[in-house]
Amino acid sequence: MPYEPLLLRNAGKPGSETIDAYLASGGYQGLRRVLKESTPEKMVEEVKASGLRGRGGAGFATGVKWGFLPKTRDKPRYLCINADESEPGTFKDRLLIEKDPHLVLEGIILSAYAIECRTAFFYIRGEFHQGCRVFQRAVDEAYAKGFLGKNILGSGYDLDLVLYRGAGAYICGEETALLESLEGKRGLPRIKPPFPAIVGLYGCPTIINNVETLANVTLIAERGAAWYATIGRPPKNTGPKLYCLSGHVKRPGVYEAPLGVPLMELIEERAGGLLRPDRPLKAVVPGGSSMRILPASKCDVLMDFDSLVAAGSMLGSAAVIVMDAGTCMVWALLSLARFYAHESCGQCTPCREGTGWFVKILERLEAGQGRPEDVDLLTDVANKVEGNTICPFGEAIAWPVQSYVKTFREEYEEHVRRKGCPLAATATVS
Amino acid sequence: MAEPKEPQQPPSPPPGPALPAAGPDDVSLLIDDRPVVVRKGTTVLQAAEQAGLLVPHYCYHAGLSIAGNCRMCLVEIEKAPKLQIGCATAAAQGMVVRTQTARVKSTREAIMEFLLINHPLDCPICDQAGECRLQQYEAAYGAGRSRFNEEKVHFPKRYDIGRNVVFDAERCIKCTRCVRFCDEVSKTHELALFDRGDHAIIGTFPGRPLDNPYSGNTVDICPVGALTWKPFRFRARVWFLRDVPSACAGCARGCSVNLATYNNRIHRITPRQNMQVNRFWICDAGRESHAPLSERPRLAGPRALAACKGGPQQEAAWEEALDRAAELLRETAKAHGSGALAGIVSARLSVEDLHLARKALSEAAGIPRLGVPPHVEGEDDHLLIRRDRTPNSKGAALAGPGAPHAGRVKEILEDVAAGRVRALVVVGEDPLGDGLIDAAALGRLDALIVIDWWKSPTAEAAHVALPSCGYGECEGVLVNFEGRAQRMRAALRPWAEAEPTWRILRELGRRFGLAGEYPTASAVFDEVAATVPAFAGLSHRALGGLGAVVKEA
Repeated sequence: MPYEPLLLRNAGKPGSETIDAYLASGGYQGLRRVLKESTPEKMVEEVKASGLRGRGGAGFATGVKWGFLPKTRDKPRYLCINADESEPGTFKDRLLIEKDPHLVLEGIILSAYAIECRTAFFYIRGEFHQGCRVFQRAVDEAYAKGFLGKNILGSGYDLDLVLYRGAGAYICGEETALLESLEGKRGLPRIKPPFPAIVGLYGCPTIINNVETLANVTLIAERGAAWYATIGRPPKNTGPKLYCLSGHVKRPGVYEAPLGVPLMELIEERAGGLLRPDRPLKAVVPGGSSMRILPASKCDVLMDFDSLVAAGSMLGSAAVIVMDAGTCMVWALLSLARFYAHESCGQCTPCREGTGWFVKILERLEAGQGRPEDVDLLTDVANKVEGNTICPFGEAIAWPVQSYVKTFREEYEEHVRRKGCPLAATATVS
Repeated sequence: MAEPKEPQQPPSPPPGPALPAAGPDDVSLLIDDRPVVVRKGTTVLQAAEQAGLLVPHYCYHAGLSIAGNCRMCLVEIEKAPKLQIGCATAAAQGMVVRTQTARVKSTREAIMEFLLINHPLDCPICDQAGECRLQQYEAAYGAGRSRFNEEKVHFPKRYDIGRNVVFDAERCIKCTRCVRFCDEVSKTHELALFDRGDHAIIGTFPGRPLDNPYSGNTVDICPVGALTWKPFRFRARVWFLRDVPSACAGCARGCSVNLATYNNRIHRITPRQNMQVNRFWICDAGRESHAPLSERPRLAGPRALAACKGGPQQEAAWEEALDRAAELLRETAKAHGSGALAGIVSARLSVEDLHLARKALSEAAGIPRLGVPPHVEGEDDHLLIRRDRTPNSKGAALAGPGAPHAGRVKEILEDVAAGRVRALVVVGEDPLGDGLIDAAALGRLDALIVIDWWKSPTAEAAHVALPSCGYGECEGVLVNFEGRAQRMRAALRPWAEAEPTWRILRELGRRFGLAGEYPTASAVFDEVAATVPAFAGLSHRALGGLGAVVKEA
């Protein structure tokens, strides 16, 4: 039975980004129903019951996160939407923002209502020029039609939404750096605790949710938690998911499937298989650049939070980066390390110094100036970065380094032995 | 009725040391098996400090907000899967902290290695060498080797980030203490972290150099050699310096300071922590207040005008000069009555000096009027600097000739100009140089006796000039605007023939029958304590390092 898309049901249709198209397809019905019949408490319970887990990378249960807000109401509560999608290989939120902004917006209004927030901030990646224009238009339309602003749909509930453009720093996707940036400061992650649910934006209780997560809230409001919880692999991996396929596949792009779809099905059937018939699969990064790499032998895995942890990686942002046999694993890691060295905020010692060090070692290895001890040095430096940093950025580079070296150790040693890259001549990437 | 139950045996205590009892505002925890009780809200790092255990750190500073960026204070806390930074983790009831495990040690080694991979290791030419946290911690916690075999990141070196502060960005470890100081303490916001990753660099904004009245504190709190104080650069290796605790005499705050001396010279002044006075800071003016000592021409020995008026000043022996001063005062009193005598005494002098000014000049020599000039500049600022630039106004009011009073000084100097005052004793002041009187008017005096440490214009015009000790050459007590009495200490041998002011006044007083023995400044102070109620019970010893508050009526 072919899968009926839920998150991408409108995307791709002409005018899908307009409110008229969205309303014509039954949009904002969920919001109407919730504002009329439900309460914030019931909405939180509904999301808890759906089993929805955050789609930003960590996979934390959304309803539980909302439940961390303090019970007191002495300060305003804020909802920040993390649209700073910057993880290499990840481009799902961008599609939702550009092609179906009202699906996201409805989820934002529903979630804000659930957590009793009156002002929400949509923090969008600075380079998303198109997305920013489209989303601002959607926000304006929603205000005009009474879905935002004072007394939404006559319910007495008020919500303002502020669109805020980031300045193009990967680190601002880390939730506390996002808050700092939103406050007009340098995007440096904060020390936790306190967590944002207690002390967040402007010192007030704050929930930060990913774009795709909020689009899922719209689905839950439309058709109920019980229905939602049947999708995917209940009870812990429920709902539809957007998968970003890139690398050596014939049809890279965003594909929707339930949580728990087999990785190879995504590659073979949805993305049309590998790019070149003469080059077999070598490895896959299943969850965005900061997750551990899976060699081809371990790619017979289901794409959900728990299955990937069991396989030794994580679902992350569900960005599937496919590498065929022509890929040099030293070069691939160097490419990643350069990104992380460039994007490290420079605040804490292990990440600031370690990321640059990785690049220098890998550049030498790739250029044929590697020393035998470099291979273990990479792993050891990664071990010293991991767990010792202010934010998860440390792990985001330590995990790839550890797993690339461990999984493809022979290739690293070969770079040392042969004084250079054995694949340099055949590499499909440059 | 049920039989009374036998008292139950208390359960046996768990193995290991027991947690001590804690009051309602306290928490008790174990740090390296040591039981510690601290106030709620204390961090693990501070709790360890209270227990006498050092958790090494760079970015943490007790006077600044928590940054948590250096990661040197990572410690093991039971039940926490990751190591936690001691500086930002609140001590909690029952917490078990370990700071010496293999995991903590290997992490410290790693942090040291990270901090040093891009550090230039130019210790031989670095002013911070000898008091550098990188050196200290590498010796104590480092592996003593580096596996870094690459080209280091290069940054601007030796660049003037401010008027008096030089920045070497390659030595910087980005702890942001200096940035936080400018944001939180001086509130001048000149510094920020620019760029990212291992290219992150501390810098200023265009056209706004680090030039605030407190900029030198950034140098003090810089744990490495990145920020250096221009006047001190390459002046002395710090291990040759001897820190003498003292109080600053730059304004009525009287900050606690250390005078760092070498070869009988003050090479720098740094703040000494005193939570009652200046916390951790001093102003730049105080930091450079030793400069006049070497910049201004000193009075080397006593000088007296040749007997015939108008002749040049000539060097004289102490006894001869003092005799001449006494003789001049006596002759004037005889010729014009004691009303023709007056004195100008400085509130920059110590309590001991001022006490003897009163005893010798007023009581023994019978000088009826002593004026104390105020020195006021600008306004009190938000942090330390007081508009009252005399460090001992309160001491002058309590133990000396009176609080600074512009009117009284003006009256005296008008009488000098009008010829009603014929003999003037000036102690530690320069009315001519300060423009309070002109040379012609001063020239009408039959006797001008000046006690000062330098050849001030007034001293140059004197009939008798007596050289006193400069700042840092003598000891004595200053009372700050809040009534805290603190000791100034002698850090240097007096220049040439200079003597402490109180001793010069004692000798002059003796020529008028002053009886007391006054062998030392401490003994002078004891007399003040015995005779002035505000100082009752105090002594040099009792003032200790941090001073004590006088009892004001």
